Parts: sequence; C-alpha cells; structure tokens
Amino acid sequence: MSTSLMRRDGRGLLLALALWLLALAPPPVLAQAEPGDEPAQRQLREQTRQRGEFQPGEEIRQSEQVRQREQTGQREQTRQRERERAGPLNDAPMWRQARSGDEFFTTVRGPEAGVLIQDEGNTWRQMRNGPIKQYGSALLLVVLLALAVFYAVKGMIRLHAAPTGHRIQRFSMFERVVHWGTAITFVLLAVTGLAILFAKHLVAPLLGHDALGVLLVVGKNIHNYIGPVFLVFTVLMILAFARDNLWEASDRVWIRKGGGFISGEHVPSGRFNFGEKTWFWGGVAFLGLIVAGSGLVLDFPNFGQLRVTMQWANVIHATASILLIALSFGHIYLGTIGLEGAYRAMRTGYVDETWAKEHHALWYEDVKTGKPRHS
Amino acid sequence: MARMKFLCDAERCIECNGCVTACKNEHEVPWGVNRRRVVTINDGVPGERSMSVACMHCSDAPCIAVCPTNVIYHTEEGVVLHDKDGCIGCGYCFYACPFGAPQFPNGPAAFGARGKMDKCTFCAGGPEENHSDAEFEKYGRNRLAQGKLPLCAEMCSTKALLAGDAAELSDIFRERALRRGKGFEAWGWMTAYGKDKEEAK
Repeated sequence: MSTSLMRRDGRGLLLALALWLLALAPPPVLAQAEPGDEPAQRQLREQTRQRGEFQPGEEIRQSEQVRQREQTGQREQTRQRERERAGPLNDAPMWRQARSGDEFFTTVRGPEAGVLIQDEGNTWRQMRNGPIKQYGSALLLVVLLALAVFYAVKGMIRLHAAPTGHRIQRFSMFERVVHWGTAITFVLLAVTGLAILFAKHLVAPLLGHDALGVLLVVGKNIHNYIGPVFLVFTVLMILAFARDNLWEASDRVWIRKGGGFISGEHVPSGRFNFGEKTWFWGGVAFLGLIVAGSGLVLDFPNFGQLRVTMQWANVIHATASILLIALSFGHIYLGTIGLEGAYRAMRTGYVDETWAKEHHALWYEDVKTGKPRHS
Repeated sequence: MARMKFLCDAERCIECNGCVTACKNEHEVPWGVNRRRVVTINDGVPGERSMSVACMHCSDAPCIAVCPTNVIYHTEEGVVLHDKDGCIGCGYCFYACPFGAPQFPNGPAAFGARGKMDKCTFCAGGPEENHSDAEFEKYGRNRLAQGKLPLCAEMCSTKALLAGDAAELSDIFRERALRRGKGFEAWGWMTAYGKDKEEAK
C-alpha cells in the first residue's frame, strides 16, 4: 500500500517535472518565431508596393484601406491605453485609487474600514491645531483684556439717582429658569470645551498628566451629556425672548450713540437695548444653534456620518463656540460686575424703578402705562 | 536604536487575512475591534491589489498632535503607543489618522461613548509594566520586549507584510522591487513617514 503510494508519488513528481520543462520551453520558441515573421511580412508588403500595379477602382479601394487602417490604429491606441491602465507594469492608476479615499473591499466591518488613506484628517488637524487654536486663544485673551481695561477705567456702571425702593418685575419665573438653564449648561460646556481644546497646553504642564486625564474624562462626559440639554434651553430661550428682541425705532438711536458706553449717557430703550438684541440674535440664536447643531453631529456618530463630516462639524463647532464664548464674556461682564442691578434683575426677576428708568426708559414707560410688552 | 516600521508589499499580498487573524488571536482583541485589516482594490478585476493596513506608527503622527489628553506617544523605537487610562474616547485620533487605525470597543456610540481607543501597538504593549497582566489586558502581548517582531508580519505567508527596522525593510523591499522590475511603491510610506527626512537613513 505504502510502496504503491510512494511509487505513484514518484511518478507524479516526474510528470510535474516534465510539465514544468514544457512550460519553460515555449517562450523562447515564440520569441524566436515572432521576429522571424515580422521581416517576412515586411518583405511581402515591400514587393507588392514595388510592383506598382494599379487596377480600376484601386484609388478608391486604397483610400478606403487608409481609412480602415487609421480606424484600426485608433482602436489599437485606445486598447493600449486601456492596457496601460490595468497593466501589471503600470501601478500608477492603482496607487491613485489607494490614495483616493474611496471605499474598497474588505472583510472587516467598521466605519470606513474599506478606505486605505484619508487625507482630510490632516487638513482638519492643521486647521484645529493651527488657526482655531491660535486665533481662538488670541481672541479670548484680547476680549478678556479689553474688559479688564474697561473695568479698570470705568468701574461698575452705577445708578445715578437713589433707588426708590419700588420694584417692578422684569423677568418672569419661566424666563429666569430658561435663562439660568441656558447659562449653567453654557458655562459647563464652555469650560469643558475649552479644556478639550487647550488644557493639554495649560493643565498638563502645571498640574501634571494625571490631573489632565481626570479633568478631561469628567469634562468630556459633562460636555457630551449636557450638550443636548443646552440645545433644548437655547430653543426655549429663543421662543421666550424673541418678541421683545425685535427691531424698534429706538435701536437706531442706540446704535448712533454707541450704546452710551463711552459717554456714560443713558440711551432710552425698550425692554432690551440694541446691545442685548445683538447678543440675543447673533450670540444665543445664531451661534448658539450652530454650536448645538454641529455638536449633535459630533455627539451622535451612530448615524453613520463619515469622518470628513465630523471633521468639518468640529471646525464649525470650535469656531462658532469660541466666538460665542467671546461674546458671552461681554454679556457676563455686564450682567455681573459691569452694571449695578443687572445680576439682581435676573436672579430675583425684579428691578428698582430707578434702574428701569435709567436703563430701559421706554420699557419703564410701557410698564407704568400698563402695557407691558412681555407676557 | 532601530526605527520600527511596517511595510506591506502590494505585489505579494494575497488577501489571506492571516495577519488580521494572527493579531486578533495574539492580543485577544475584543469583538468589533480590528487592529489590522486587509483592503482589496479592484476586487475580482484586472489590476487587483490587496494591502494590509494597521497603525503605521507615523513619524509626525496626527493622532499625537490632536489628542486632547496627550496620552499617545512615541517610544524610543518610533512605535506609537497610547495610555488607555487617560483616554476619553473623543475620537479625534480617528478623525485625524490617515489609515483609520484607531478603533473603539463600543463603535460609534451615541453621546460619543465610544470607549477607550484601541489600536495596533506594534506588539509592543503599553505603558504598563512589561508582561504584566494589566498590560496584556489593555494592550495585548508585548512581543517586542520578548525580542520578537509583530506577529502579523511573522505570520505572513507570502512575506508581503514586513515589520522591523526601517533600514532593513527598505533594503529588502528595494532588492525585491529591482528583481521583479515593478511594484516600487512602499504602500503608505509617504503618508506615514514622508515628512521625516531623517528617517530615510
């Protein structure tokens, strides 16, 4: 049994060897035959041409042949190009495909697993680590510095007249809940968001690597779970305050006088002055919705969005957030140390009549004449 | 000191996925995570090529540049490793990586709860003590500390996937390419190591 198998094995080996030799043989034979054929054909063609025999209709036939030959030549060229495109010696098209960022076949399952190289990541890296970090940090520092200088020069804007002791309602309970809901979620998101962008450069050198890790593990979760809450509050905020932030005739005066910030003059305005309206529409509504919307794209990657979508969402998110934070510095400044009575107004909902008269004269008149514009 | 790199020879890769399996088995990688994958271009038509992809341990690594917690780092041998303890799963390394190397155990989960990033370690473990249980649990086997090269390359049946010192890989690949007269491109090397002129030595 075993011997016969061995013999068969031996015979098989011999057969394989013979086949292999045969397989090796043809190419040289062909190689010799081809150049041999070529001169023979050329000779035949040469002889025909030398004979120069013309027959009736020969000219037409010749032009027909030329046309055919041209067509054949074109077809050959196309075929050659195609061969080059797919040919084993020409890898260029394949490498272009590899770098194209297209998805190819792979057995591995995962987001964009079939992509070999994605270049957009580097673009995103350059934008995030470059302009966004540099201009962003510069903007925030400049705004903080400007506010510090303004405070040092002007101090808190105080009431001119003595408070009357009569208080009138400025914000309803609902408005205050919405405001503080937005404010608290905003501050949490701003702090954690800035930490994600900058803490690497500030916290790590000062407090060490472990502190950075703890800060960001907590921070990232706060950011990701509070984010959608911020969106809800922002929408409520827009609904609650939109009506009193519409354009009024008095806004033109306010713009012309620059809000009276430099002169110290009090420009009469309605419930909200143009500065507040700018913050409301430009900051809360416009930037707030952009930040929240782009944040959702990043927060819920489970909808199959591609990396390039999330990269751009991140660029928009970071840029709009930094602008919003810079604007919020101004709002927070005036709402706390910048303007006497402003913080109390939003905390308790009530302001003194003197405060109303000095800061929002038109609104004060509306309230006094019994036609409060807010519900 | 050696500079460790991967090199995948597209002329030789036959898409057997042996490297993928070897990696998963050696490091007991969790479900859904594939530190290495094989991608095939022109599957089933002329010009078909397969390439094995994992972390290329880039010279100017984008993941290191964008990581908010600074947990990704280069070892002395140029291997890019990461410290899972400080990882917050933000996914930035995944956005930035040209090769799609960073993986997340929970996948693209809602609220960005991806879990801690996982990627090819060049079989060099992590920041934990060499050969400790903690290291194996988090990062898999540390073959480099045992004096061995990455298992994916060691297992490669056609030696398409090479791993080791950059200079030696270059020599082997150059000789191969010259012998066969084609396939001169070391896949992904421009992207991964192109920026570092010093590496060419």
